Amino acid sequence: MKNKIIIFLVLTALFQTAILKAQTPSDALMMEKNELCIALIYQNDKWDEYWEGTLLRDNQNIGVLTRNTFMPMLAYGVTKKFNIITSLPYVETEASRGQMVGASGLQDFGIFIKYQPYELKKESGSLSTFISGGFSLPVSPYLSDYMPFSLGLGTQEFSLRGIIKYEHKSGIYLRGSYAYLHRTTTEAERDYYYADGSHYTTTMDVPSASTADLALGCWLLNKSIQLEAGYIQQSAFSGDDIRRQNAGQPTNKMDMTSGNARLRYFPNLIKGLSFMAGYSEVFSGRNIGKSTIISGGITYQFILKKAQS
Amino acid sequence: MIINSHFYKSTIVLTMFAIIMITQGCEKDLPRFVAFEPYSFSNVDNNGGTWKQVHMTNVEQIKIDIPAAPDSDVYKNEIASAKAAISSMTTDDEEIIQYWGNNPIIRWNEIARELAAKYNLIPPPNADGTYTLPDPANPGKFPYFPFAHPPYASRAYAYLGVAQFDALIAAWHYKYKFARPALYKSDATVKQSLPTSDTPSYPSDGAVIAAASREIFSAMFPLEKEYLKEKAEESKEALLLSGLHVQSDIVAGDSLGRGIAKVVLQRAAGDGMKSAQTPKPISDSIKNAAFTRFGWKWTNQETPERPVGLTPFFGKVKTWSVPDLVAVRPPVPPAIGSSEFIKAADELKNIAKNITTDQRKIANWWSDGFNTTTPPGHWNKFASDNIIKYKYNPLRSARVFAYMNMAIQDAGISCWETKYYYHYPRPIEAIPGFKGILGTPNFPSYTSGHSTFSAAAAAILSYIFPNEKRQVDEWAIEAAESRIYGGIHYRFDSEAGLEQGRKVAAFTITKAMADGAN
Repeated sequence: MKNKIIIFLVLTALFQTAILKAQTPSDALMMEKNELCIALIYQNDKWDEYWEGTLLRDNQNIGVLTRNTFMPMLAYGVTKKFNIITSLPYVETEASRGQMVGASGLQDFGIFIKYQPYELKKESGSLSTFISGGFSLPVSPYLSDYMPFSLGLGTQEFSLRGIIKYEHKSGIYLRGSYAYLHRTTTEAERDYYYADGSHYTTTMDVPSASTADLALGCWLLNKSIQLEAGYIQQSAFSGDDIRRQNAGQPTNKMDMTSGNARLRYFPNLIKGLSFMAGYSEVFSGRNIGKSTIISGGITYQFILKKAQS
Repeated sequence: MIINSHFYKSTIVLTMFAIIMITQGCEKDLPRFVAFEPYSFSNVDNNGGTWKQVHMTNVEQIKIDIPAAPDSDVYKNEIASAKAAISSMTTDDEEIIQYWGNNPIIRWNEIARELAAKYNLIPPPNADGTYTLPDPANPGKFPYFPFAHPPYASRAYAYLGVAQFDALIAAWHYKYKFARPALYKSDATVKQSLPTSDTPSYPSDGAVIAAASREIFSAMFPLEKEYLKEKAEESKEALLLSGLHVQSDIVAGDSLGRGIAKVVLQRAAGDGMKSAQTPKPISDSIKNAAFTRFGWKWTNQETPERPVGLTPFFGKVKTWSVPDLVAVRPPVPPAIGSSEFIKAADELKNIAKNITTDQRKIANWWSDGFNTTTPPGHWNKFASDNIIKYKYNPLRSARVFAYMNMAIQDAGISCWETKYYYHYPRPIEAIPGFKGILGTPNFPSYTSGHSTFSAAAAAILSYIFPNEKRQVDEWAIEAAESRIYGGIHYRFDSEAGLEQGRKVAAFTITKAMADGAN
């Protein structure tokens, strides 16, 4: 049964609101050696209010902003303790009102490695730690300086994440993680912009950020169902606020806290298949949409060739 | 306990940290002002005091004190205290001297553009769906005064340019009248930090510019009085430490610049800008007049609807050089639904559907919308770049800014007169379901402001920098085109705007040609 529990693909990070990156591997599970996992994840993110700086407001010239993400992912177990994950989201955005046209296209290609350096197993439960690191970069010439419609932040992102998890023999587990997201710069299509003063360049500094997340979950029905509730806090290390009645820009300090609930189901009939569903909501934020996100996905994993024992 | 000891374990961890450390190292230090080195002027324009002023009628209308004689104790004491200040200069001071340079008009134009960008935000709707407009009598009450939209900004840049130019003509007059040599010439032991020039030093042109700029912009941007004062003080400090001036050069420049700016501001007080933002009944009657005349009318498409367009009476503001606005008003645009209209609408629909990355880039490059220096500001940046390229002295630089910004404001006035006369609906209103990549501004479509501003600015820059004609003409056409790519103007808006801008600028050029500077 244990072998069935493979990667738990990242709703956590998928979750990130509207303008943030689509994913980061933040789960606490590993795949077997030579095991391949194919996943397709859909996410529907909607908001009708956003924080202009710290002021929560609506905008009737946007109405409801919808952001749909379709993300294929591929994960591979190089060894039982070392996995590689890649993803390539397709994003489309649209406002229900107003005269501004939305955007659509491929966003950022991401590649991540996950490594499990330490595991302590006892009768009563197990404690394990993971480190994941990743890199993503835009793969289409989308314009990041087109908020709130832009497909992404248009920056390269290096991430480093530490994860710790304790699982009781009953199937109840607690997981925490902390990540540092280093973001480079993005290119605007204008050579002057105002962000707390003048900038004479097309280059915009995209603030780096940290995310912390805490999740409580459990396995039910002989590990065929996984339930989880989580809390995420993301904060940028720098950046300016959206000024009154201005549009957002990639230089903004985008912060948020959110909560989520997820379900994953492994049907007994087909080995290697799983279905995922998730719901999350942004509670508080800054320069970001007050999103409600529903997501769903399907994953299938199988051994490419038998590992030599 | 199972501890995995594969050799790559530590390697992976170390690599990850290395990536973070390396990327942390390249923190982003982005330019906050235009970088250029102080330069030697290509010409000193020693007859500058005889040039014709724009607004002032008499070059000695504002008097300054006769400077102390070179051999007087007063002057010798001034030299001694300037030298003392220079000798205790810090590295920060040296940076400040280089920042302001010997042509601080570049920096003042930059400051002006920055304030335009800072204040270029439209008032948001109130909770009950109404809008509150900025109140010049209470500028600090939200929404702050001013809303530096393109007409407002064009006017602020024009007054700034005119005050600087008129004040510098007077300064040049006094400089050659009194012929006080620069400090480093009076005393060869003085350390001098900027390129030398043969222009006499009394009054200091830098102080004239600082005072005039501060005075004009304190009136245009009242919440920035303190900031402008700080900038002016810093600039004057830099002048004193540069080795070019003694204190009395700066004091005289300060009072001359301030005095002339005050006279120029009297024009501003009565130029009609105060009533440019009309109340709703007047706005409605303008709209109805157009509807009666042409059978169409423009209406704001935002939610909640903005009840009055932007400055319907900007077209009534006093021009600098255009004698008759009706004479430069383009002919009536194609009727809605006519074959010419359908052709223009089809072009927009086609672009919206198949926009290329290049078209998008052009639209964004010229978007100059909220939170930017406005289209007039964009052209001021070009003017500033050319001033540096051709190593213009402060007086000749001021002439560029004055004439270009007068032409730009006149272009704006003429364009606004046209906009509210024809009251032509925007593409988002007249083409069902149409959307674009730029936000549609709160005023009628015909003619395009960008095109009119840009053609006027390009005409002045071509006149002043003939070698740049090809480049600036190209830019003006691209600016006009950009509004079509952005989906906020029909091609006929842009084409008529370009023509209109050229016509308006011709009046400015005629004036400039007769000012004695050629």
